[in-house]
Amino acid sequence: MGASPALDAALTLDQDAQLMLRVKDGDNDSFRLLLEKHRAPVVRFVYRMVRDQAVSEELGQEVFLRIYRSRATYEPAAKFTTWLFRIASHLALNWLRDGRNERARNVSMEVREEGAPVREFPDRGPSVEDAMVREVRLEEIRGAIAQLPEKQRAAVLMHKYEEMEYSQIAGALGCSESAVKSLLFRAYETLRARLAHLTSLNQTGFEKRGAA
Amino acid sequence: MTCPYRNEDRIDVLLDYSAGRLDAARVNLLERHMMECSQCAEFRAGQQQVWQAMDEYLAPLPSADFNRGVWRKIDAAAADPWYRNLGRVVRDGAWKPVFPMAAAVLLVAAGFVFDHRNASSAVPTVTVAEANQVQNTLEDLQLLQNLDASEAEVAEPIL
Repeated sequence: MGASPALDAALTLDQDAQLMLRVKDGDNDSFRLLLEKHRAPVVRFVYRMVRDQAVSEELGQEVFLRIYRSRATYEPAAKFTTWLFRIASHLALNWLRDGRNERARNVSMEVREEGAPVREFPDRGPSVEDAMVREVRLEEIRGAIAQLPEKQRAAVLMHKYEEMEYSQIAGALGCSESAVKSLLFRAYETLRARLAHLTSLNQTGFEKRGAA
Repeated sequence: MTCPYRNEDRIDVLLDYSAGRLDAARVNLLERHMMECSQCAEFRAGQQQVWQAMDEYLAPLPSADFNRGVWRKIDAAAADPWYRNLGRVVRDGAWKPVFPMAAAVLLVAAGFVFDHRNASSAVPTVTVAEANQVQNTLEDLQLLQNLDASEAEVAEPIL
């Protein structure tokens, strides 16, 4: 009792919003908690948008810088993650639209070799040929996602990997829920067409991997 | 007949089903529907294939230095001069009215300049009545001159 209206609103929203209200009051430990909790999803999302690890790290840090800088004016009007991903998608889309995406595409192969997560294969697992086939398949998947129009790509990444609700995706992309459904409809149609030739992963003998 | 689930507004049902985010009651309903609807069954198969493929697409974790990088940026931003911070506020759009306000100021300034230029370069206007009055005066003067000339001829006969 006695909490501010903003805090009451936050209590009905989510724990992150409560933490952010504490950040607003000058509690940097709460910001550290938010950073720890959300840095991985933010960097993952940005990486899949821009396909460049160094850039995803840089833009990910910029997202949290903006969160911190906006703490004084923060109001828990929506879920914290909606706000977080709005900033992340804004930065990623701006970066892509700045024309630097061309450079990213050129270096993406090199960066992936250096920056992609270490993939551990079991000792008695796939052979070198299998690994190469797998890499080609992965490149097809990455390429199919990368070729989607930017907004469709952002919507699919938030829907598939971050498991965000339609309303959250709409909030993050600044459009209506029906527009998000339309984006997803078209994006998945395209992906089904582009990836239709890929046989089931289980049929190739690779062990199934969980979602990132 | 077109399946009701196969349009953009209802696509969330099929997507949620493929993602395992649909409640049991709706799952039963949809699965019964898919036994008779080849379009939806085909969608399910295609979507599951896409999702399985997308599961393979891993992304790197943030580096061990990520948090330190964030705090470095925060400290650097705090040490920046006021005009840089103001620039950031404008660029980030944190002060949302800035663009409409700037547009309004520009519009008013442009209107003022345009109006001022017109006022300074305007040619004095003459009304029709004033023009007629000038014309009449000139004609009167001409008449008087003619009259003077004829009086002189009468006074001094040609010798």
